Amino acid sequence: MKLKVCWMYHDIMDLYGDKGNMMVLKKRCLDRDIQFELDTCGIGQKKDLSEYDLIFLGGGADKEQISLIPDLLSRKENIQKAMDENTFILLICGGYQLFGQYYIAANNQKIKGLQFYDYYTDTGKQGSRCIGNIVIDANLDGIKTRIVGFENHGGQTLNVKHPLGKVIHGYGNSFDAGQEGFYDGKILGTYLHGPLLPKNPVVADFVIYKSLKKRNPDFKFEDLKPLNETFEKGARDTLFKRFNIGG
Amino acid sequence: MQTLAILAAKLSSSILRCFGRGGSLPGSIALKIDDKILNKLEFTGPIILVTGTNGKTSTANMIADLLSYAGYKVISNRKGDNLKAGITTTLLTNASLSGRVNATACVLEVDELNVRHILLNIPVTCFVVNNFFRDQLDRAREMEQLIESIEKVLPDYRGDLILNGNDPNVVRLSLKAKHSHCYYFGMDMNAYSMQNTNEASEGKFCPECGSKLVYDYYQYSHIGKFHCSQCDFKTPDMDVILNHVNLNNQSFECDNILYRQPYMGMYSMYNCAAVLMVAKYLNINDQEVKKVFSNAPQPAGRNERFEKNNQICILNLVKNPTGANEVMKVIETDDTDKTICIVLNDNEQDGTDVSWIYDTFFEKIMNEHTKSIICTGCRGYDMALRIYYGGYKGNITVVDTIEKAIQTSFSTHLKVYAIATYTALLPTRQMIVKEMGL
Repeated sequence: MKLKVCWMYHDIMDLYGDKGNMMVLKKRCLDRDIQFELDTCGIGQKKDLSEYDLIFLGGGADKEQISLIPDLLSRKENIQKAMDENTFILLICGGYQLFGQYYIAANNQKIKGLQFYDYYTDTGKQGSRCIGNIVIDANLDGIKTRIVGFENHGGQTLNVKHPLGKVIHGYGNSFDAGQEGFYDGKILGTYLHGPLLPKNPVVADFVIYKSLKKRNPDFKFEDLKPLNETFEKGARDTLFKRFNIGG
Repeated sequence: MQTLAILAAKLSSSILRCFGRGGSLPGSIALKIDDKILNKLEFTGPIILVTGTNGKTSTANMIADLLSYAGYKVISNRKGDNLKAGITTTLLTNASLSGRVNATACVLEVDELNVRHILLNIPVTCFVVNNFFRDQLDRAREMEQLIESIEKVLPDYRGDLILNGNDPNVVRLSLKAKHSHCYYFGMDMNAYSMQNTNEASEGKFCPECGSKLVYDYYQYSHIGKFHCSQCDFKTPDMDVILNHVNLNNQSFECDNILYRQPYMGMYSMYNCAAVLMVAKYLNINDQEVKKVFSNAPQPAGRNERFEKNNQICILNLVKNPTGANEVMKVIETDDTDKTICIVLNDNEQDGTDVSWIYDTFFEKIMNEHTKSIICTGCRGYDMALRIYYGGYKGNITVVDTIEKAIQTSFSTHLKVYAIATYTALLPTRQMIVKEMGL
């Protein structure tokens, strides 16, 4: 089996160690003899995104993020095609915002999104930002898992119809939102850096499983053989203990 | 109010000194009494402000030494208390009650986000900017907002600028400083320059027009020779340029004079270039500069070496990806068998977001000479996870105390490289000293 990933705008959207997510997918595939092919797609590069099993888009600084908007919008049809053909999509922070209606940058500029979904992102009042460790409880197609990460966003994402999870500690989509991220079976969007996947092996495996299903419709989550997760557990427990919550 | 504020600062400072403390409290008290106190001070001689993400303490200290050797009576916030209150403490405790600062030169290290509170409030002669990197992003927010906070005050600034001409994030300040003369320091292409890099996380776009920046070469991270693909923004002509750089014996030439610099690594060469630029600016001769370099103290945790019997241990502070990458490069060049001990904390001063470890190329130390990696600190497991997913094939161990980590490291009987974040540095150093019986 093979997992083909396209990391969009890897040279621009690579804030807060998001590249760690690709390291995790790669190792967790190779350790199970699943081939892993990582491709990138920059501004102006010709790519058919529907050929990939997974599209990944991270977060960037405002100024750099704005520079890729025209290119991203020009790929809207192709991304729609990829989604229709079951390419799974993982979005962190800025990438998550860009799949909604619009977002307001820190300088109050309104940036149009891909508008696949109804959610939109306003900017925090007086430059306020949601910053800190975050813990959420998610239900991924019936797999219940506690997710840990670090959020750092001024954006306040509102009108989210399918949140990824319930906030146990931290902020989430906006101050006092109570909910974090977006998940509807096709895309998983979240503000969680940390990066997301190293400390959340269940999410990492879930992303692998959803992506593999594109070419292997009968593939099941349980088909992924268990791996040693000693360090993952240690890192998660450190934060659970600190916030006095169970694993 | 002014006299009262200065008196309060002086009194509280001497009281605190009795208890062995100092720092920012006297300045805070004075600012509470009179928040315009800085604007009311009178100065004699040059006032030099120094900022930048990496190297500002070493650079400011070397500039203070330079001015002392050149005969100035210098006051400086040497202990690195670089926020507005700390700087206020430094100035007021050295001022008369009438507000005259008792010195013929001031050299002040300023935190990047505090530049806007200082630059227009005292008559700065020249403002030295070394570099801008991602640093503790949860505190400084994004790079861009940090630079903008400085750009906002530059149009009203009347002094001169001394800028790192190889850092586009720094050169862009010249666009906003309409009243300033800009002087540039930098480094010529050399044996270490690279055509391509995967280290650069800043400086991808032109600050003037937003087009892509093109690099002729990189020295490290996003520092190098660049030009905009569309407009005329580019590396400027340098007023001070280092050439014949040699990282092995830490030497370089400038205006055909050979200098030996006190610290390891490419990034510290730029600190020296900034010092040379200030010397040129104030007409101070090369003999004084050489004296500065040869007398510069080795700060704790900057390639600090401990040795006893056959055990060698080298301690390094890491606080952001760029600084950490430079530490990795130094370790990589040492091909003796070694044990690496990493202490990762996530307290306020370390940066509460540990994701920076994924922006650091720990892969550089994952080779056959690194026999084991021992992780500890309040986020020791996160560190182990980073090494594990980096594909390290050797032995990774997590222990719960610094004591156990150092003991375990020494029990391998190999050369030990200890790497610690800010709040872990002193405890790690103390444990090394204790375990080695120094």
